[in-house]
Amino acid sequence: MKTLLVLAWRNLWRKKKRTLITVSSVMFAAILTIALMSIVSGMKQQMIESIVSNTTGHIQIQDVLYDDEPSIDYALELSPEVMQLLEQHENCIAYTVPRIQNFCLASKDIGTRGVLVTGIKPEKENKMNNVSSRITQGRMFNDNDNYAVVAEGVANQLELELGDTIVLLGNGFQGMIAASKYKVGGIVRFPMPEQNNSMVYLPLAEAQWLFAAPDRVTNLIIMAEEHVDIDMLSADLQSSLDDEWFTVYTWEELLPDAIAAFEVRNAQVKMMAWILYAVVGFGILGTIITMVFERMKEFGILLSIGLKRIKLAAICMLETLLMSFLGVLAGIAIGYPLMYSLYKNPIPLKDDLADVMIDMGIEPVFAFSVAPEIFLQQGLTVFFIAVAIGLYPVVKVLRLDMVKASRK
Amino acid sequence: MKTVIETKNLVKVYNGGVAPVKAVNNVNIKFNEGEFTAIVGPSGSGKTTFLNLIGGLDKPTDGEIFIENVDISKLKERKLFDFRLKNIGFVFQSYNLIPVLTAKENVSFIMLLQKMKSNEMNKRAEELLQAVGLGDKMDVRPSKLSGGQQQRVAVARALASKPKFILADEPTANLDTQSALNLLDIMARLNKEENITLLFSTHDQRVIDRARRVVTLIDGAVSEDVNK
Repeated sequence: MKTLLVLAWRNLWRKKKRTLITVSSVMFAAILTIALMSIVSGMKQQMIESIVSNTTGHIQIQDVLYDDEPSIDYALELSPEVMQLLEQHENCIAYTVPRIQNFCLASKDIGTRGVLVTGIKPEKENKMNNVSSRITQGRMFNDNDNYAVVAEGVANQLELELGDTIVLLGNGFQGMIAASKYKVGGIVRFPMPEQNNSMVYLPLAEAQWLFAAPDRVTNLIIMAEEHVDIDMLSADLQSSLDDEWFTVYTWEELLPDAIAAFEVRNAQVKMMAWILYAVVGFGILGTIITMVFERMKEFGILLSIGLKRIKLAAICMLETLLMSFLGVLAGIAIGYPLMYSLYKNPIPLKDDLADVMIDMGIEPVFAFSVAPEIFLQQGLTVFFIAVAIGLYPVVKVLRLDMVKASRK
Repeated sequence: MKTVIETKNLVKVYNGGVAPVKAVNNVNIKFNEGEFTAIVGPSGSGKTTFLNLIGGLDKPTDGEIFIENVDISKLKERKLFDFRLKNIGFVFQSYNLIPVLTAKENVSFIMLLQKMKSNEMNKRAEELLQAVGLGDKMDVRPSKLSGGQQQRVAVARALASKPKFILADEPTANLDTQSALNLLDIMARLNKEENITLLFSTHDQRVIDRARRVVTLIDGAVSEDVNK
């Protein structure tokens, strides 16, 4: 094998310029595809983190009927069974965030609009999405306070100011009437319009009292530790809970539209990457075809003097693999530090694009990723392309008429 | 004398052109151990085809080829490869050394294919290159050697596997007079000292003069067979 490798390596450098041009084309394609994959993966990660922390969390435990009909009637009780289960998984769970949510009518004077009243524990909510940092006026309540924090859009539409009173009216748990009035103690601004125009926050206990649902929550959000496989934890929790009453959802199950959008984007990027691969593949194939035709006589001679076809075919395959790997290694050697530098110092976005990102609650930067699978994927893809191209000289050698070839 | 090569009713027909061409036409011939034979004849008389058939590089259309009583025309390709590697050395008109290997590596290559031990292989390669007068060119690649030197490396390569006989297809055709004479001296010495059977296809009168037997082929058939 060593001899075959030496022969393949030396053959590669018989036409240095040609080999260097081919290796360079593989290298540039590798850098481009790495950059493409890195930015897509980085942006996806950034969006996931943003969406997960601002909305769903990693996992949610809900009443089995709540997802189909998000009614306060399907608020689940934080029973000892549930709390015990969470304790059993404390190694996997970073923290939990309880929420009780229900739509109500909010009014001030003669103005009325629908709002999403959300009861939260502020210290836990802050851990997840730092909602207090979005306060523009007033301050976030504590667990024992009994005032409301309203989103800026709601405040604008109802002409609310700090110290004003807001009246909330809606359905309570199992037919109860939820009606109360609260002072506005804080105004919070969200980048996403649907949040900014609908959110009214109350302390969890106050909201549970309003909805006549003590010790109940509509969503029990679980934020997993970094190393934890979300799907496995979700399945584990589900298997331990009574599925007649509880359902466990991952963020992917709760946000199918976001997943579909990612998939579409992924497919577009993969198509671009495959176009690049095809260009590189044809480049290598061209070089290999030329190399094979230039050396037909030599192949004939090598077979004549006793080199077995399979070994000659292996030399040809090794030449293709070596040339491809040189290109990929060079691409990774240049691409990795470049991506790492961009990962540490993301490119800031400007103007409209930045505004769109901010509206979506995402930091307005081009985020890059240096996940090992990006580089591994390049290596494996080029390996398979090289194997496919390497089959051409292999087939040629296996079918070679050595007498005819020797005469060329 | 022991017969090492024997052909019986050997025929090779090529069907590629307008009409089939009989390149070798019913050749019955024997070659004995240690003979130095020149196969002569005009261009297209079938010399190279005949050597290719004897060397197992090509399959006959009809007839049999016995090398030390083994009918190589019936051997499968894999066995034929091993048989060729073990028994036959080839020297070609245009040297055909592996350009990326040094002179010593070119000679060692055959032994490597025979899975010879490394130290044994190195020793024999060095001895053979010394024998053909290239002891000082062992680490030089073919592109840095003259035509005559390359052909001598090719001879050393052909001898590396300790073959029973060497087939040489017009080995002096591309050499100047002095190189050709040097090569013939070396081949004659090996023929004498190691009792290797030599079969040369040639137009070269210098080779014909040195050969002890001259077989003339006309239109693929033996027209004359002279022992000197």
